[in-house]
Amino acid sequence: MKVVIADDDDLQRAILSAALKRMEHTPIEAVDGLQAYDLLCEHNASILVCDLNMPGLDGNDLTKKVRETILDRYVHIIMVTGHDQEAVRQNALHLGVDDFMGKPIDTATLTARISITERLVQHENLIKEKNRVLEEAKAIIEQDLHAAAIAQKRLLPAPRIETPLCCFYSAFVPSSYVSGDMFATFELDGNRTGFYAMDVSGHGVSAALLSVAIGHLVTAEYFQRNTFADDGTPDPAQLAKTLNSRFFHDDSEDYFTLFCGVIDHDSQELHFCQAGYPSPMVVTKDGTLRDIGDGGYPVALLPDVEFTSERAPLLVEDTLVLFSDGATEAEDTQNNAFGRQQLSQIVLDAQARDLNLMPDAIIAALRAWRGQRTLDDDLTVLVCQRRFPQ
Amino acid sequence: MIKFDTSNDDISVIVPDGERMTATNSTSFKEQIIAHVDEGNSRLVVDLSGVSFVDSAGLGALVGVLKRIGNRGDIVVCGLADSVRQMFELTRMNRIFTEYPNRAAAVAALKDSL
Repeated sequence: MKVVIADDDDLQRAILSAALKRMEHTPIEAVDGLQAYDLLCEHNASILVCDLNMPGLDGNDLTKKVRETILDRYVHIIMVTGHDQEAVRQNALHLGVDDFMGKPIDTATLTARISITERLVQHENLIKEKNRVLEEAKAIIEQDLHAAAIAQKRLLPAPRIETPLCCFYSAFVPSSYVSGDMFATFELDGNRTGFYAMDVSGHGVSAALLSVAIGHLVTAEYFQRNTFADDGTPDPAQLAKTLNSRFFHDDSEDYFTLFCGVIDHDSQELHFCQAGYPSPMVVTKDGTLRDIGDGGYPVALLPDVEFTSERAPLLVEDTLVLFSDGATEAEDTQNNAFGRQQLSQIVLDAQARDLNLMPDAIIAALRAWRGQRTLDDDLTVLVCQRRFPQ
Repeated sequence: MIKFDTSNDDISVIVPDGERMTATNSTSFKEQIIAHVDEGNSRLVVDLSGVSFVDSAGLGALVGVLKRIGNRGDIVVCGLADSVRQMFELTRMNRIFTEYPNRAAAVAALKDSL
């Protein structure tokens, strides 16, 4: 191990150097503090044995400089002082010296001191190596998560979709890289529009695996096939039921809440199934706000539960606002939830100004509520407004 | 650590640790209760009077315990705060877990059902 010896006394330096060589270390000799500092840097050494009294930079100044400037590793400093210099040692300890040796130096003490320091350096190197491996693994995981986040976002509809019958505006904010939320919109046969939003219990990678599985599974064709009764009437509960059969496992607690709907533009009705997902809001043109639905069993939580299809009027220019529970449950620094009431106000304000900006307005309000801390749950906002047929 | 009160015959009253049942503590909550169930205790009252917030993971943990008990016993809840009751209603868990106003009423009801 490289050991820098700083001493202006040639004889003292030679004794130390010879002793270190016998211990199979590599002594690097410096005649004063400044040279010792340069050699520490040049040789990347982690052990310094220095005299207190040296011309130019003395032992204390050298210690101070080492502690202030060498930050990429820990340099162990052993200072050589007189045996009775208690006050001097106190001061040196305060400046950052680790250990002392008294003059005259005996080989047994030097061997013991250097062996202790060597063990510490080896231990530090071991920790440094483990940290390097962990950092590398973390970088790979982060790279993978970034890629997964991009892949997940590609599954989502564009943030702004305008069809002849309705407009969708959306926002999707994972609490971490990937999200346990998913949503989609579909143009269906016969003047109908379909959509769903879902939220897997929990968040993070395991939740995202399930949300992405749903995102891949529920295509427009799958949605069309599973949301209509044989007579052609919209029956979105069928979708919840089908997904429940497919994803319920007796040995798992992974489940999700779902809201799926079919807008019938001819009858001006929303056919929906609410499976534990928060009740969406409907805002009418004159600014009246009402909630849709009063609940339902989540999907894949329990076997053989009943899912129901319900209906609600959805007139031209009515706005339907879906949001995952990350919106209402977002907490401020005192653990107060944002709540439906505040969310309603943001929705009403945004509806009166520019609907297009509603998702961003909700996100901005939630970020402000959380004191600019990141959201602690995944968030989806999906806004749909029916348009006059063109 | 959750608390178990087993002073009422074969009925265990379970008091969750802390005011929140969320993704942070729900796995530990479930595992502790399941270990208790596996020791032969399958008539449970979960006293939620000290709990102000249950998220979807907390709900999943309760259902996990319910699945483990199966037909061998019973699990009921008591002392639901308004916000917790709303969560139970939104997810229809109020139809799965019988609710009592307090611990005494829940224990009495389970004793009567023997």
